[in-house]
Amino acid sequence: MKVTLVSRNGREVVKGGIELDESATVKDLQETIHARTKKYYPSRQRLTLPAKPGGSAKPIVLSPKSKLLDYCEKGKSDNLTVVFKDLGPQVSYRTLFFFEYLGPLVIYPLFYYLPLYKYFGYADTDRTIHQVQTYAMYYWCLHYSKRILETFFVHRFSHATSPLSNVFRNCLYYWTFGAYVAYYVNHPLYTPVGETQWKIGFAFGLLCQVANFYCHIILRSLRSPSGNGGYQIPKGFLFNIVTCANYTTEIYQWLGFNIATQTVAGYVFLVVATSIMTNWAMGKHRRLRKLFDGKEGRPKYPRRWVILPPFF
Amino acid sequence: MAGFLSTVKRIYLAFYNWAIFTGWLQVLVFAIKALNESGTAAVYDAVEKPLQLAQTAAILEIFHGLVGLVRSPVSATLPQIGSRLFVTWGILYSFPETRTHVLVSSLVISWSLTEIIRYSFFGMKEALGFTPSWLLWLRYSTFLLLYPTGITSEVGLIYIALPYIKASEKYCVRMPNKWNSSFDYYFASLAVLGIYVPGSPHMYTYMLGQRKKALSKLKAA
Repeated sequence: MKVTLVSRNGREVVKGGIELDESATVKDLQETIHARTKKYYPSRQRLTLPAKPGGSAKPIVLSPKSKLLDYCEKGKSDNLTVVFKDLGPQVSYRTLFFFEYLGPLVIYPLFYYLPLYKYFGYADTDRTIHQVQTYAMYYWCLHYSKRILETFFVHRFSHATSPLSNVFRNCLYYWTFGAYVAYYVNHPLYTPVGETQWKIGFAFGLLCQVANFYCHIILRSLRSPSGNGGYQIPKGFLFNIVTCANYTTEIYQWLGFNIATQTVAGYVFLVVATSIMTNWAMGKHRRLRKLFDGKEGRPKYPRRWVILPPFF
Repeated sequence: MAGFLSTVKRIYLAFYNWAIFTGWLQVLVFAIKALNESGTAAVYDAVEKPLQLAQTAAILEIFHGLVGLVRSPVSATLPQIGSRLFVTWGILYSFPETRTHVLVSSLVISWSLTEIIRYSFFGMKEALGFTPSWLLWLRYSTFLLLYPTGITSEVGLIYIALPYIKASEKYCVRMPNKWNSSFDYYFASLAVLGIYVPGSPHMYTYMLGQRKKALSKLKAA
């Protein structure tokens, strides 16, 4: 069969089209495109069927495992037009997460161990390190080490890659906030809260981190290793009562950190992170409810908190 | 019901735009009067009250954009209003040493001319349903000169205020404190100056795009 590959403005991406066997899969097509164009490796390719004129429906994305024949119109099995979009340079999610999390892991201890505050005008301020500041540093580093370990050993990603530009955007977010919080918690003029308060804060935070880890283990088992990317209703542990229990435990874990360390910077970070995760959670909750509508034999998605019991 | 609501919206916007227009007209008239009678050092005192009123009322425009009352994107209104309020209250009001500078005159004239045209443009649109083509032309052309003069005045005045900001410690929060937080107004002002670097071309090119769209529609009509 002949595949005509066009860009969204109609130009042919591969002149003359691509000849493939009738039994070819989308993956075969992707590899052929890569071979013919040299620079467009498969994870950079977004292949869709041409949009129906006048329709506003989302274009159908070709799934790598499917046969090309599945996308042909009835009776027209020797010709297929596919729309190509270049997603730009891609990095694997593991690479992206590793660099985002490495920043805070390295930057925070810099403020704890090195005499950086003289560059901020505190050259002649004596620095007594409070116990809570030491534990805060351990807690923070534990958190980001955990995240890196989960990236390599626990998480299963629905997409293999992410655009390269996300590396700069995400690192800017994590690294800047890391420095911002680290600056204030390790400040020579830092005022600690009472011992009971910070002990409770860290204990609560640790508990939530353990719970968060368990949530990640559960999410992992929802995805098959072959990366089918299909959706299932999450269940077990906190997922029985809240859709995005992993975000919930992450948010409450930061709350624990802030109760212990009490800085405006830390709370600002908490608020921003919460709003980002809430955005994601609303999307996920909506998607799951739409998919599991209880019709045609599909289970109905149960009533659950979206992300933050007892509020939302 | 929809018809009634859209009429209410029109009446409100017409009233709003003409009211603010009057404020800025006052600013321009008082400024020119002061320039004629006394010179640049007297301009601020002459325009202070209508300037503060007209400029601060513009905060409403952020709400207008958010609730969809007007089509302007919040991404264009927010930096504009932010910089205006920062200069009006954060510099001129807070640091009187800057008020006699000649840049205050160029600032006030740039702002008031721009706003008089802008508000009468929108005021006519809401009240009469159309705007005369000469006003449309003014609205989408005067910015070519007035944005640079206005921005230069804003940046200049912030820069002039810097030594006074640093010395006065005004609006600063110092450590140690219970919430382990700090704020340095001097560095914040430097950061604002930094934002002008990408912000000004962004605003200018946005207006250039709007100009192209508006004037081509005029030609087609």
